[in-house]
Amino acid sequence: MTEIVTPGRRAAKHSAKHSAKPMRVRRRVPTRTPHHAARGNGRLGGPLAALPWALPAFAFVGVLLVYPFFRSVYDSFFENNGFTSSFTGFDNYARLADDPIFGRSLLNTLMWVVGTLLLPVLAGLLIAVATHRMRFGGIAQLIIVLPYAISAAATAVLWNFMLTSDGAVNQVLRGVGLDSWAQTWLLEWPQNTLSMIVASTWQATGLNVVLFAIGLRAIPQDTVEAAQLDGASGWRMFRYITLPQLRAVTVVVVGMAIVNSLKAFDMIWILTKGGPSRSSETLALTMYREAFRLFHVGYGSAIALVLSVIVVASSWLYLRRQMPEAEAEADARAATAKA
Amino acid sequence: MSGSRHRLHPASDAPLDRRTLLAATAAGALATACGTASGQPPGKVAVLGDSAAWEKPMAAAGAAMKSVAGLRLVPEVNPSLESFEQVVKSSLRTSKTPDMLKYWSGYRLQDLARTGGIVDLTRQWDRAVGKGWVDASLRDAFTYRGRVYALPMNLAYWVFFYNIEVFEEHRLQVPETWDDFLATCERLKKSGITPLHGSAADRWPAFIWFQEILSRQDPQFYEDLMNGRERYTDPRAERALRTLESFFDEDWFTSMDMSHADAAPALVHGKVGMVPCGTWLGSTLVGAGGKPGKNLGAFVLPMADPKARPCVIFESSALVSTVKGPDREEALKAAGHWLRPAVMKAFSHSLQDGCPNPEVEPANPVIGGLAKKVRGDKLRLLNRFWEQGPPELVEATVDDLAGFLLNPSSYREVLRTMQDRADEAWQVWREAEET
Repeated sequence: MTEIVTPGRRAAKHSAKHSAKPMRVRRRVPTRTPHHAARGNGRLGGPLAALPWALPAFAFVGVLLVYPFFRSVYDSFFENNGFTSSFTGFDNYARLADDPIFGRSLLNTLMWVVGTLLLPVLAGLLIAVATHRMRFGGIAQLIIVLPYAISAAATAVLWNFMLTSDGAVNQVLRGVGLDSWAQTWLLEWPQNTLSMIVASTWQATGLNVVLFAIGLRAIPQDTVEAAQLDGASGWRMFRYITLPQLRAVTVVVVGMAIVNSLKAFDMIWILTKGGPSRSSETLALTMYREAFRLFHVGYGSAIALVLSVIVVASSWLYLRRQMPEAEAEADARAATAKA
Repeated sequence: MSGSRHRLHPASDAPLDRRTLLAATAAGALATACGTASGQPPGKVAVLGDSAAWEKPMAAAGAAMKSVAGLRLVPEVNPSLESFEQVVKSSLRTSKTPDMLKYWSGYRLQDLARTGGIVDLTRQWDRAVGKGWVDASLRDAFTYRGRVYALPMNLAYWVFFYNIEVFEEHRLQVPETWDDFLATCERLKKSGITPLHGSAADRWPAFIWFQEILSRQDPQFYEDLMNGRERYTDPRAERALRTLESFFDEDWFTSMDMSHADAAPALVHGKVGMVPCGTWLGSTLVGAGGKPGKNLGAFVLPMADPKARPCVIFESSALVSTVKGPDREEALKAAGHWLRPAVMKAFSHSLQDGCPNPEVEPANPVIGGLAKKVRGDKLRLLNRFWEQGPPELVEATVDDLAGFLLNPSSYREVLRTMQDRADEAWQVWREAEET
């Protein structure tokens, strides 16, 4: 709609350019306005005209997202054992603070976030860059992407076969004489959480490779050539030319990694069920166990709320850190265009 | 339906079709939503269960019941344990609940009975006992406040599976006494075979060893502890875990992440000496190449306390009839015929497990032999750890026991934690009982 510029405005712009006194023209922020042709008709163009079309979406979001959310908030103030429900105020939240399982679960969740940010994101970037201009690079990328096509449940079953005490990993280690490296990978904390992060890396890297590869392809060739003329190559080329131009993709990849790691569930559920002795639970698993296995609905709701707050807060903080700069960049670009 | 319009008004078919499609979609969605609510047609009763392996046996029992009572049982399966429990608990108070359910016995059944959502089947039970169709000693496992709320479906004993050929090769006999058992473990260990399967994989198996050792050292204490009359911090509970710790010191156990699915082939191939489990593991063992009577045998763990009355742990699923199910009358009639020998035979032979009706011989000779021994020696039947005590307590204590299995020297701390949980859970349970 921004292309439709009314003659009046054009005239104003014109006069601004030519008048002796430089008049500052505020750049119009693009907004959507109903088309002029539709405006004449009062029946259709009212501010509520769009409502019927938006209603189904509102209904779905309301029923499936907003209501359950507020219901969970409400439930978290009650103690509900399936028979009786009594108001307990903030007791459930106070209990969280004393619960060693919740503490461990929070720590595991943090490990997942850090692990997922370090491994699949970094590995994805490295593999994408390494295979970018390589011969058969496409095939290499395809092979790395393949695990992404397997369901998380199947991946977990596969890794179970590798990680049990008599599993493939330990057999290989013993086979090459590294007996002391053989571990009970899934039985003890923290290596059970770490092993599962590695397993999920195997699966999650593929998508990151694809995203980074797309980002690499989108880098304008002339910037690279200009840098080459200036004598940049290798690490300097990557650090000062490639990486800054991958920024948009990186924002997406990192954002997805944060959210995915916070909601890690299926692989852990199948590999260890959060055990042994609840040592590998993340917040999502603790919430599930309390609410649906132990029927501590109120306590489970409290955990769910804490998890939601963490997810929303971390996403918001991250995006806020990224967005103002993006806005500033846009402003800067606008300024250059004007000049 | 829109066919005739189609021919008459070809121009208007697009909007009409879209409308038809929308209506059909809405109708379809509605039908799916109500699908579980509608009852079975007359002559058919739906039985909801959580195990796909029980589908065929249930259909076989249904066919047998059709011929003796004119009613067909239709199995419905929700194979996810979590969602099965959710469906049962949330639908019980509504008319959308299934007619009949496969549930657990013991406290899990009591948990369900006190909602008032399941039918008192005492009359059907008494009639079956009168005809000799059911082992009367099982009554307690299906009772709430003196009334019977479910009928037993299978009867699995908790035994030690062993490989007959491996035992013969190392000149070992089935242990008759506790010392025999220890000697067997020692001999197997010396021969390079891991004597015992222990597991914390899949979570629940963590209770197996505590249950087996404690019940052999002091069956009465086991029963009292499980019913909240004794404490986990008692020296007798400590003794059981210390015994287990000594087994760990001897290095008799497999790695604790070996699941039952992996233990079965390991036993058949002679890598693991003995696997404690319910007799229902038999079908998994046969699937792994075991041949009952040839290379696959089972025995009941001998008593560590020779003065105590010998006991065996049993496990029996519960057939429950719901109050609000749509075909309640037919479901009650089906319950009346459930324990009939013809129905029970069809069911248990298809399931390949033990049968609560003593008139029915198990199809599997190993289980048949065990049943004979249990009845002949008048072994005391004790319900399984999983069904004993408030369910949420059991859900938590299996995790504590898993912690013990991974760090056996922590037994004191583990028992203290378990007792703290027990104090809280029993209080909640008793309060709920009063309301």
